[in-house]
Amino acid sequence: MSSVSTLLEDRGAAFAGYSFAFLDDMAKREIRRAILKGVAIPGHQVPFGSREMPIARGWGTGGLQLTLALVGGSDVIKVIDQGDDASVNAVNLRRLIAKTTGATETLDTAAATLIQTRHRIPEEVMREGQVLILQVPIPEPLRLVERSVAAARSMHAEMDYSRMWLALYEDIVRRGEVSAGAGYPVMVNGRFVMAPSPIPRWDIPKLDNARCLFLFGAGREKRIYVVPPFTKVEPLEFDDYPFDTEHFDGKECALSGATNAYLVESPTEDGGSRWTASDTNYADKVLAGQEVDTQWKR
Amino acid sequence: MEALTESGIRPPDTAAEQPLLRVKGLTKHYQSASGGRIVACEDVTFDVYPGEVLGIVGESGSGKSTVLQCLFQDVMPTSGEAYLSSFLGGTRNLWEADRRERRHLRTHDMSMVYQNPRQGLNLMVTAGGNIAERLLAAEWRKVADIRAKASDYLSRTEVPLDRMDDFPAFFSGGMQQRVQIAKALANNPALVLLDELTTGLDVSVQAGVLDLVRDIQHRLGMTAIVVSHDLGVIRLLADRTLVMKDGHVVEAGLTDQILEDPQHPYTQLLVNCVTH
Repeated sequence: MSSVSTLLEDRGAAFAGYSFAFLDDMAKREIRRAILKGVAIPGHQVPFGSREMPIARGWGTGGLQLTLALVGGSDVIKVIDQGDDASVNAVNLRRLIAKTTGATETLDTAAATLIQTRHRIPEEVMREGQVLILQVPIPEPLRLVERSVAAARSMHAEMDYSRMWLALYEDIVRRGEVSAGAGYPVMVNGRFVMAPSPIPRWDIPKLDNARCLFLFGAGREKRIYVVPPFTKVEPLEFDDYPFDTEHFDGKECALSGATNAYLVESPTEDGGSRWTASDTNYADKVLAGQEVDTQWKR
Repeated sequence: MEALTESGIRPPDTAAEQPLLRVKGLTKHYQSASGGRIVACEDVTFDVYPGEVLGIVGESGSGKSTVLQCLFQDVMPTSGEAYLSSFLGGTRNLWEADRRERRHLRTHDMSMVYQNPRQGLNLMVTAGGNIAERLLAAEWRKVADIRAKASDYLSRTEVPLDRMDDFPAFFSGGMQQRVQIAKALANNPALVLLDELTTGLDVSVQAGVLDLVRDIQHRLGMTAIVVSHDLGVIRLLADRTLVMKDGHVVEAGLTDQILEDPQHPYTQLLVNCVTH
């Protein structure tokens, strides 16, 4: 038996006995069918038979299966972990995908054809033909208000979202605002309430009427769902409590000087803290003085 | 949202000849563990007219609560038909409605006050939130409006407004029942179902809740069905009364008539029990 590390080290020898893109053809076919169904019913969770992967469930198996079902030898792939291309998990996933398919690796958002991501949407606008694959821990937005999966599914079927709204109302009554930070619930195509995966509020407006295809994969929960290009995606909001993104008033990325980016705070040695752009590729481009289009909404 | 008068009160229905609710041949059977048939209620037929309160009285096990549970879709009957004039123009049998229509029926056209507030309220959602739930189902999307409406209902049912954002889990039984009544009034339902609403409350609180219901009924012209084993409650609230025994309606008529001149032996027994 080859361990994952030998698999990654020696492509030629280790790949005897493995399928192209690791998954067997039947698995890929099932996943592609689930994607097509998801495209046809935007925001609807399509069940699929999540396979055992060479990484643990909860580490992006849903996203990885989507990527492997779609990737071809001529694709250019990028993997993001919380905005970062260089985290151990992102690097390992990217290498696994590249080595089992011969696809080209990249860090450049604009150059990639397939981007697998955990908890972020790139700052740089994605164009037609690009695919963003989001790793999802909890695909069911109604999980917090309804513990029964069967009941939640019939609530989706009947478009019965009053309890979701009630949870938002209660939040406003108790905290003065909707407190959901990551994974703010959205309405897709005026029909399904969807969990956008734990992306920050900053990224929510990017989902609306975008040019690229968004795929969501939850490996542990065995669900796939889709936001096709040019689909209306609206955050759930009350008329008098409108949705708002995070604000970084006056702050800029300590490394690149980027201002129009989602910033994260990290402690410094002197006991203070500094803010840096979470999208490392975007920060690199700003640092190199490149023009980057960040206007998702047009 | 429905057209309401300035005060949020449903305009009185002047053409009262048409019944609001028609129930025909309502029958509910259960299967016992040994495979035998248990009759909860059998061939129950009655009409309810707009603005009236219909009482259903009977001992426990007489099937009176089953009638309400069937009407509110908590339980599906074995057979029977029911038409509510406000629901799809009164053309759809309530028990043939699809799930979405049934949900509309429960959030817009009808409401139920259960004997146990636990059934009618979500105790881990604030008192205001419980009322908001029905308003949100009716597509209210402005928090300020929802809160204004919820406080309106809560003040009508004499729940102190400073408890609006508290959980009913920490309220007294009488106050929980008043929150439940406030919730039942939300969205101005055409028909309110009251199931043993004072049972389990102590006597002084019972009197307060009954006064409240009678007062609201007079002011809003609410149409209601009141189920109780207690003839005192029926005497106070109901214009007309059905007497049920062993799943059958044994006597029906004006409440005063039934209390003063009971015809069926069971009704006579019931009336004698109360007055002596």
